[in-house]
Amino acid sequence: MIVIGLAQVLVILVLAPLLTGIIRKTKARTQKRIGASVLQPYYDLLKLVRKDEIVSDQASWIFRACPWVNFAAMTTAAFFIPVFLVYTPFGLVGDLLLVVGLFALGRFFTMLAGLDVASSFGGLGSSREMMISALLEPALFLSIFVVAITYGGTNLSTLIGASSNASFLPHPQIIFAAIGLFIIILGETGRLPFDNPATHLELTMVHETMILEYSGKSLALMEWSQSIKQIILFTLMVNIFVPWGISSSVLLSSLAVGFLAFIGKISLFGIFVAFSESSVAKWRLFRIPDLIAIAIATSMIGIVLCYL
Amino acid sequence: MFSNLVLFQISILTFLGGALVGLLLRNNRFARHAIFGSAMIGSVFTIMFSIDIITGKPMTWMVPNVIPFFDLEIFVDGIAAFFLLIVGIVSFAVSVYSIGYSKEYQVKKRTMVLGFLFNVFILSMVLVVASNNAFFFLLFWEVMSLTSFFLVIYDHDKEENIKSGMTYLVMTHFGTAFIFASFLLGYIQTGSFSFDSFRHDSAGFPLLVKNLVFVFALIGFGTKAGMVPLHVWLPKAHPSAPSNVSALMSAVMIKIGIYGMIRTIFDFSGFGASPDFAWWGMLLIAFGSVSAIIGVLYAVVERDIKRALAFSSIENIGIILIGLGLSVVFTSFQLAAFAVLALVASMYHTINHAVFKGLLFMGAGSVVSVTHTKNIEHLGGLVKQMPWTALLFLIGAISISGLPPFNGFISEWFTMQSLLSSYHVPSTILQISIAFASLPFALTIGIAAATFVKLFGMTFLSKARSKFAINIKEVPHSMILGMSILAAVCVLFGVAPYLGTSLISTAFHMPSQPSSPFDSIAIQNSSGKSFANLSMPVVVIMLSSVSIAIFGFIRVLSGNTKKTKYGTWDCGFGSLNERMEYTPTSLSQPIRTVFKVFFRPHNQTEKESFGENPYQLKTIKIETAIKNIFEDLLYTPIVSSFVFFFDKVRRLQTGKINAYLLYIMITLVLLLLFVRLSNNA
Repeated sequence: MIVIGLAQVLVILVLAPLLTGIIRKTKARTQKRIGASVLQPYYDLLKLVRKDEIVSDQASWIFRACPWVNFAAMTTAAFFIPVFLVYTPFGLVGDLLLVVGLFALGRFFTMLAGLDVASSFGGLGSSREMMISALLEPALFLSIFVVAITYGGTNLSTLIGASSNASFLPHPQIIFAAIGLFIIILGETGRLPFDNPATHLELTMVHETMILEYSGKSLALMEWSQSIKQIILFTLMVNIFVPWGISSSVLLSSLAVGFLAFIGKISLFGIFVAFSESSVAKWRLFRIPDLIAIAIATSMIGIVLCYL
Repeated sequence: MFSNLVLFQISILTFLGGALVGLLLRNNRFARHAIFGSAMIGSVFTIMFSIDIITGKPMTWMVPNVIPFFDLEIFVDGIAAFFLLIVGIVSFAVSVYSIGYSKEYQVKKRTMVLGFLFNVFILSMVLVVASNNAFFFLLFWEVMSLTSFFLVIYDHDKEENIKSGMTYLVMTHFGTAFIFASFLLGYIQTGSFSFDSFRHDSAGFPLLVKNLVFVFALIGFGTKAGMVPLHVWLPKAHPSAPSNVSALMSAVMIKIGIYGMIRTIFDFSGFGASPDFAWWGMLLIAFGSVSAIIGVLYAVVERDIKRALAFSSIENIGIILIGLGLSVVFTSFQLAAFAVLALVASMYHTINHAVFKGLLFMGAGSVVSVTHTKNIEHLGGLVKQMPWTALLFLIGAISISGLPPFNGFISEWFTMQSLLSSYHVPSTILQISIAFASLPFALTIGIAAATFVKLFGMTFLSKARSKFAINIKEVPHSMILGMSILAAVCVLFGVAPYLGTSLISTAFHMPSQPSSPFDSIAIQNSSGKSFANLSMPVVVIMLSSVSIAIFGFIRVLSGNTKKTKYGTWDCGFGSLNERMEYTPTSLSQPIRTVFKVFFRPHNQTEKESFGENPYQLKTIKIETAIKNIFEDLLYTPIVSSFVFFFDKVRRLQTGKINAYLLYIMITLVLLLLFVRLSNNA
């Protein structure tokens, strides 16, 4: 059991950059470009890890610790996610709320690192991130609320186990939770219309400003942990709302089916996100609360539907 | 070794001794050590005593007729001992801290008064919690309020501090009046001031009386706890006091309000497992949510580091009240298991908040004592000059933001699970209301993290923004030691929640879980499956082993790479200076804009340009201000209508003797008429 649990963690760690690559490739194609190979994020990481680092002379130990804290937090979060099997042996250790807490830990340090280097870029990113993250928190908790009440737990093994047993779209509130969670995932992973991950323009960027001073292996760690966070959230989305094909037993054949289904679902979802990103523009910073309000409102409708 | 009564008496005598030293000795280094040393020893005995009670039996001590007709009754059960433990732990750390901290005040020759009040203040808190009689409870309550009032105006050469002190004095007596009313109702029903008789007879009170007892206690103790809208004194009084006292007030004193509320609800109000009382819980949740959200919103835009911490105390009291309210709701619907869960959440957050808020106030005090400014606009870059204070403050900041693996996360996890458990409540309207109450709760947690990113980042990181933050030294060892004690507790209660849960369950006589340190906390759903599990020790092991593994992996992958230090990227312009950094105000500007309905921000720009061209500016001056809606919309009208009314009344006082003779004449005639008419009837 532990072996399969660790295998699921490894799948997440290893496939994280690939998902980023798929999204980039799809975006390039929608813009009539050929785009880099889907494996490009791996080459980038490898190149960055081998490079020398330049650290700001203003930076304190917080700046240097941040990539490690981020990576450790995201990887630990990956332990609790059922990927291709409905069950993870680490479900007894932590639940969905812990995963959210670990994300918040990483973000806390990223915001501090943005402030640490004394440039106005970092402050700008941290300031915007403060607002967005503070508003995303209630939206996220409310959609977790709907899902947890419907499927009987924040323990992810229970949750995904119940959702995989349920018939297709059994509860109307789940649709609302899915809409809410989709908006939140766009915000949490810094995608359009919240933040443009491909930009280096101070008018629009949020996440990129905070990690602007990083180079070498610190940058590699930051990029990688961001990819891990993204794949974790995407996995949660597909496994909670479309648990098709996920393996419910440890038989080799059904595990293989589960694994292939996971790869298929996550790639499709990545392509979907890339398409949706290509069709919207970056929203003005102060319109983002409206978008989050939509997520909150749909989750609230979901809650009402839970109890009616 | 000692019986618990002896421990209790020793701790009281030590505090009294410390107070006496403060009164009698001259101001010198020895006396300072003696004062805070005895506060330390007293706290140690308080801790020993309370652990003795929690693990053993309740203690009763009665001294008949201390004041004619009033017996001094002391009764310490697990609940009281739990709060005494909080008093003890925080007071111990703060006393250690004060040895170094009060050095600054020694120059001004007033350390002795500070020491006297400090000891009496801690003593009064111990006695409030321990007393078992309405009369003595109120007496010690008053001592606590007055000593803290004197401590608030300790720096009385600043006009502002006197003003805050007066606000505090008025508000605390407003609260005391309601506590008094609540106890009087009990007295009318039972004919006795002893809490024993309240406890014994309260189940038989009429429902109206039970409700009134609860509402009065909520207002009275809520004022002390800093519940919105009765919180106005808190963000004024806490920053005005010396920082060691702010730590005590914010960490411990407002918890005494929570203690009073718990005592009244569960012991004196006749509360029982009946849906009649569900609205009590809902009221608590409502006040808790409002307090949490209002507290944190004003904290995040605040520039004064101590006032931001004070607002954050209001927020945390809100979280505690949400947990308490949920526990009341669950109890009234006879959902005992979830009532326990919610009460553990609430009490865990109580002790956590005491620990990390004490730590943060001491950290803020260290910063203020070396930089002599509370305004974080002037600070920055202290992490290099005060590495220890920075590290300890960071531990407090991470804890209070509710991030794993520190203690704040555990209590917030419990609170979230209690909110989720509301689906067991057999009433749709309550289910939906509680679910909606989780919106402000979660928003609070999000903004709280932002608040502490701002407080820590602006104080300790980046470049110094003014001369205040340049050329300063780390604070003395005793101050660092005091903070480290509480930081250690933060880590311990986060890494090993077993400690906290078993402490609370033993104190409150509740079923305990988890049963061993490495067991996970488990909640089950209605079909018997696991609703949620959490095992922090394992999470910590995972975090650390993952870090080590990835460190090795990256090391192997990267081979030999160099690290070069170079200036921050300046877009090639080459003169990046501290005036280009983000300021605290600009950092919280997005949040201020989003929630402008609460702040009514007011911006004014004055430009002066060279000649005709409006784009060639000579000077530009921007003023921003925010409003405190509760003060402006609620308190100002009340205060001004009082002032208006008494202005009218003052006209009676003309100062002319003829007028006064006329009043006497009128009164006499009226009295005679009254006597005459009532005789006829």
